[in-house]
Amino acid sequence: MNTIVGRSRWTPLLFLAPFIVTFLLFTAYPLVQSVNLSMHQTYGPKTSTFVGSGNFTQLFSDPLFWKALGNTFLFALGSVFLQLPLSLGLALLLDRPSVRGRLLFRLIYFSPSLAGIVFVALLFGPIFEKNTGLLNVWLNSWIGFDLEFPWMERHVMTGLIVAGMWMYVGFNMVYFLAALQNVDRSIEEAALVDGAGPWQRFRHVTVPAIRPVAGFVVLLSIIGSFQLFELPFVLLNNTAGPDNRGLTVVMYLYQTGFEVGDLGYASAIGWSLAILLMILAVGLRLVLRRYED
Amino acid sequence: MATTVRAALSPGGWVIVLLAGLSTLFVMARADTSRSGLDMWVFARPHHEMYLPNVESWNANQDPDLNLYLLSLPALERRMSSGFLSDTPVADLIEADVRVASRAFTGPLKDVGFLDLTDRIRESGIDEEINPPSFTPWTSRGRIFGLPHDVHPVMLAYRADLVEAAGIDVTTIETWDDFIRAMSPLMADEDGDGRPDRYLLNVWETQIDTIEAFILQAGGSYFDEQERVAINSEINAKVIATITTWITGPGRIAVDAQEFTASGNRLKLEGFVVASIMPDWLGGVWKHDMSDLSGKIKLMPLPAWEPDGRRTTVWGGTMLGIARSTQDPEAAWEIAKHLYLSEDLALQLYESNGIISPIRRLWSRDFYDVPDDFFQGQAPGRMYIELAPSVPRRTSSPFNQIAKERVRDALTRLREYAEQEQLFTVEALLPEARSQLEAAHADIQLRVDRNMFLKAGAKGQR
Repeated sequence: MNTIVGRSRWTPLLFLAPFIVTFLLFTAYPLVQSVNLSMHQTYGPKTSTFVGSGNFTQLFSDPLFWKALGNTFLFALGSVFLQLPLSLGLALLLDRPSVRGRLLFRLIYFSPSLAGIVFVALLFGPIFEKNTGLLNVWLNSWIGFDLEFPWMERHVMTGLIVAGMWMYVGFNMVYFLAALQNVDRSIEEAALVDGAGPWQRFRHVTVPAIRPVAGFVVLLSIIGSFQLFELPFVLLNNTAGPDNRGLTVVMYLYQTGFEVGDLGYASAIGWSLAILLMILAVGLRLVLRRYED
Repeated sequence: MATTVRAALSPGGWVIVLLAGLSTLFVMARADTSRSGLDMWVFARPHHEMYLPNVESWNANQDPDLNLYLLSLPALERRMSSGFLSDTPVADLIEADVRVASRAFTGPLKDVGFLDLTDRIRESGIDEEINPPSFTPWTSRGRIFGLPHDVHPVMLAYRADLVEAAGIDVTTIETWDDFIRAMSPLMADEDGDGRPDRYLLNVWETQIDTIEAFILQAGGSYFDEQERVAINSEINAKVIATITTWITGPGRIAVDAQEFTASGNRLKLEGFVVASIMPDWLGGVWKHDMSDLSGKIKLMPLPAWEPDGRRTTVWGGTMLGIARSTQDPEAAWEIAKHLYLSEDLALQLYESNGIISPIRRLWSRDFYDVPDDFFQGQAPGRMYIELAPSVPRRTSSPFNQIAKERVRDALTRLREYAEQEQLFTVEALLPEARSQLEAAHADIQLRVDRNMFLKAGAKGQR
């Protein structure tokens, strides 16, 4: 009897223990510690001085933080309003049985996301180069474009959005392709019989069916965009580019925490980003719920 | 209780526990593979190759052994910073460049990860032997944390084949204005493609090290000798206004042919760039990366900003520091002296990399007078040594890198302002240059003021 009682009492705890221990050690403790850190000015983890809300006060008057936030927003807008419509367009196109070789095209469009983001950054470096870059040389031979046009100096975010698009359009296309399988063909056929045109069928049949997945992809894109780091970091050669035109929030966090050594200020940046993302996620959820209602 | 625990685990659970126990024992029983002796990190392959024979001879004759490791600069920077910030293991000796070393000076003096070498250097008279400006990038709050590796004076490397074919006499050039006047015929558009066949100078708003070198040459700086922010000086404003007129507008003479890039090298090889500023170390890089330029390049002192002005500047720098965590500081100090003060190594440093030693007594050695075919038979060593005493002093401020980036931003905005307002003279650009530098100065000042660890007497808490 004792054995049975013991088994029922300890078994679940033992099975849960690995998760609980790792969660407490690697998630809960660092989270609590980062809140504590955000209220200190630090030089590495060894030396710190309590500054209360000083880091947050400084952050809100820090022009670099706002610049980083602005750049990150711009990238997120590019992701949501350029990248995702393109992904959806590709998915719609490659979902049509009439397109020959669509499986091959799906593979081709998806394949850039298999390359690491660092590789993509290294690939786009020579493309955007002045004088000898592939883009300028090609445009020059085609329309006499200025060979010295400095993409990575004056149009950094454009370059980043294009590189991001190349990498993620195919990836998001796969989500939309999966969502398109949920579209009820009988409703679509009924709409067709009722005389609905392609746009009306898309607007009133396809969109409602893929809305949950679209909402999820938008959320993922926003979160991914706000975590943008490696692409500008490698593409701009470990800098934020002229006039910090390629500075993102996470890049600023990294520079502050690991180059300057002020982990406190970096934690304040991290928490501000986390709170912002929570607000955006809740806002998006509310908007989607309104549409569902 | 024992019954309960035994009953709680299925046979599969016991297998997992057993495997975990066995693997723990295996890891604990593994032989210690770490080598005995002291470790040293270097980031430059040529330095690594140069030190290897010396390290071997040291290990054959002296104790303790030295283990030399070559790390990429970013890897060295991250491992060093992490080690200094959190007491994780670092090498006993670390060769760091000027951008990396200053990172260690951000916190309180007592937390600088490098050993304070001031007393050792003074007691052994090394401070008298070495060119004084070579110490400044490694000196923080009056304390010296590294043994200087170099001086890195800068000259102007120009395409002698093109200049001489055009009949230009470079001995008439004393200032940058003279340089532009004398060299401007080389910018003609002879192939008729609507743009100059070549540009006179390799400098651009994004080349933050080159811009700093120009500012130092002109007598400006980003921090003064007391490490106070000095970005908003009149000299700095004049320099960035002048550089703006070089990179844009009808008087443009410059092009962006960055070092260490394939596109930059291609522009140089194709003769699209007439001249580049060249520290002693860069000669070695050009020889390796652009051997086709051999016999086409000559050196001359930099044109000055004013008549009788400084004809050189400084770019780059390396030091050897001893980690404060080393178990054997005396042995590390002996090794540092063995590597950095030896005449043999000075010879190798010059022959393999073109770098002149900071030790003044070695400047009279004959090997610096050997003609170099790459430079059309000039003796670059002797030419650099003649300029070495005039090299400007630099800061060790941990904020220097970010200051360089802010000045670059000021220059970018100034260039945009010039293009917007169609203003392309130094006089017309000066007010905006002052205003942009004022903004950069305020930004850095804010960051410096925020760092309470750099204030006098600041201790921090643990």
